[in-house]
Amino acid sequence: MKNNAISVEMAGLMLDSPLLLSSGVLGLSASSLKSVADAGAGAVTSKSCGLNERAGHKCPAVLPFEHGVLNAIGLANPGVDEMVKEIQEYKRRSKTPLIASIFGSDVDEFGVVTEKIVSARPDMIEVNVSCPNVASEFGVPFGADIDICSRITRLVKDKSKGIPITVKLTANCPSIARIAKACEDNGADAITAINSIGPGMIIDVNVRKPVLSNKVGGVSGACVLPVSVRCVWDIYRTVKIPIIGGGGVTKPADALQMIMAGATAVGVGSGLYKNGPELFEEINQGIKTYLHENKMTRIDSLIGAAHG
Amino acid sequence: MADLMTTYRIIRICRHHDGLKSFYFERSFDAQPGQFINLWIPGLDEKPFSISNMDKDFMEISVKSLGPFTKKLMEFKEGDFLGIRGPFGKGFTDADNVLLVGGGIGSAPLRFMANTLKSKRRSFSFILGGKSRKDILFADEYKKENNVVLIVEDGTAENRGLVTDFIVPILRKGEIKKICGAGPEGMLLAIRKIALSEGVEYELSFERYMKCGIGICGQCCMDGSGLRLCVEGPVLRESQLAGISELGLPHRTASGKRPIV
Repeated sequence: MKNNAISVEMAGLMLDSPLLLSSGVLGLSASSLKSVADAGAGAVTSKSCGLNERAGHKCPAVLPFEHGVLNAIGLANPGVDEMVKEIQEYKRRSKTPLIASIFGSDVDEFGVVTEKIVSARPDMIEVNVSCPNVASEFGVPFGADIDICSRITRLVKDKSKGIPITVKLTANCPSIARIAKACEDNGADAITAINSIGPGMIIDVNVRKPVLSNKVGGVSGACVLPVSVRCVWDIYRTVKIPIIGGGGVTKPADALQMIMAGATAVGVGSGLYKNGPELFEEINQGIKTYLHENKMTRIDSLIGAAHG
Repeated sequence: MADLMTTYRIIRICRHHDGLKSFYFERSFDAQPGQFINLWIPGLDEKPFSISNMDKDFMEISVKSLGPFTKKLMEFKEGDFLGIRGPFGKGFTDADNVLLVGGGIGSAPLRFMANTLKSKRRSFSFILGGKSRKDILFADEYKKENNVVLIVEDGTAENRGLVTDFIVPILRKGEIKKICGAGPEGMLLAIRKIALSEGVEYELSFERYMKCGIGICGQCCMDGSGLRLCVEGPVLRESQLAGISELGLPHRTASGKRPIV
């Protein structure tokens, strides 16, 4: 790691930049992950994978609108066995830390996928309990069920062979901070917040039908930033483990807001829509400029700064 | 740029034959030859299509019935609504003394390129091939053009063979500065080989399974450099192809998995 003004340590990972690529964006292959790492991301996250291959929903599965992006990819992924190969190839080609995102269709499947993914030796495992497509046996999304989140976190932690884990949470619950605390109590090394919100819908008025093939999809992009900043704020007041804050970050000031709310690292995903992977370097530079203008030498001192 | 989904009425349909049609929409944006749009059949799916022509009033796409999506499209009538997002990607660049080489329905963007070059009074030749004459888009339009050579595999047009057999003799005349190709990947790779050995610049239009069209989902990232075909492509040149390791391999499917050869 280059020790520079914006490098951070997050749950044992040494990051050259606090910015990381969020899961679900440019994360299917070793080559695309490497291209994002080379563009200035401090870490990259591979696409959430489950036990079996899934083609996901038909298109339109990603739909930009005036203020963000609506998506219902439907957890398309090649299956954990293929993802292990992609991660192994990535690790051979890049030194930038990789976070492997996983999901399961039930609690036990999280354990099975974890056992497989550890063989690729990712630098961290992201436990995606917040995809709107996956619901518990009671029909409640995993991420809104404190007991299920606790059990999944404990199970993945027990099978992670020392690889740090982060649990990716949803804002769609009465108290994201309470869920985060339960994850911390059950062994989570970090919290990732937030997944896309909603779900939302866009209807075409000429054909009078929802445009997404899945009809509804998660809302991300610039319009969710105030929600994600508030979630990070709430979590920061409740847990001691580091937070990866993401949701609507499209410019340097957004990343700074996230850090001041309490994030140690900042996820960038849909924001790449306008500027491509070059956005990482643009935000890196913007943060450095802010530090310089405020006569600060390190970004660490800004973490949680808004809590005063 | 019109990344947002917008529905348009089909203003005209040209039926080449039952399984090959061109659809016309009101022109609502500028595009370069080689760029593509995502076409939405409400309630079914959305797929990328190259723009096959543009005029001051309309945009044309040309579609061959190959799978469930294109089969359904053949049932659409004038006045029906279809969704369009785009144009996406980077197309062919303008030049003089160009050789266009196209095969099958994949040659659609070269029709747009040929018409663009013509309107700019550029010098160009066009080698256009298909299995049979009926597979060649607007074959009759090219009757009077002495710079267009039609090539078919079954003998229903003047020349019989593969398009790639006809490239070298044209290049050897010494005027061609660049080849623009579109069609099946095997043909594109054969063009690349010829272009490299003859020392001619090239631009080739590639296809992959695409989802978002805006460079974020990662579905069409090419192994090697990881370039996003929907943004940096679909038209690629040697500086880009040199960094790609998946040429000629089966394409990744909707799950992201590459089928085993």
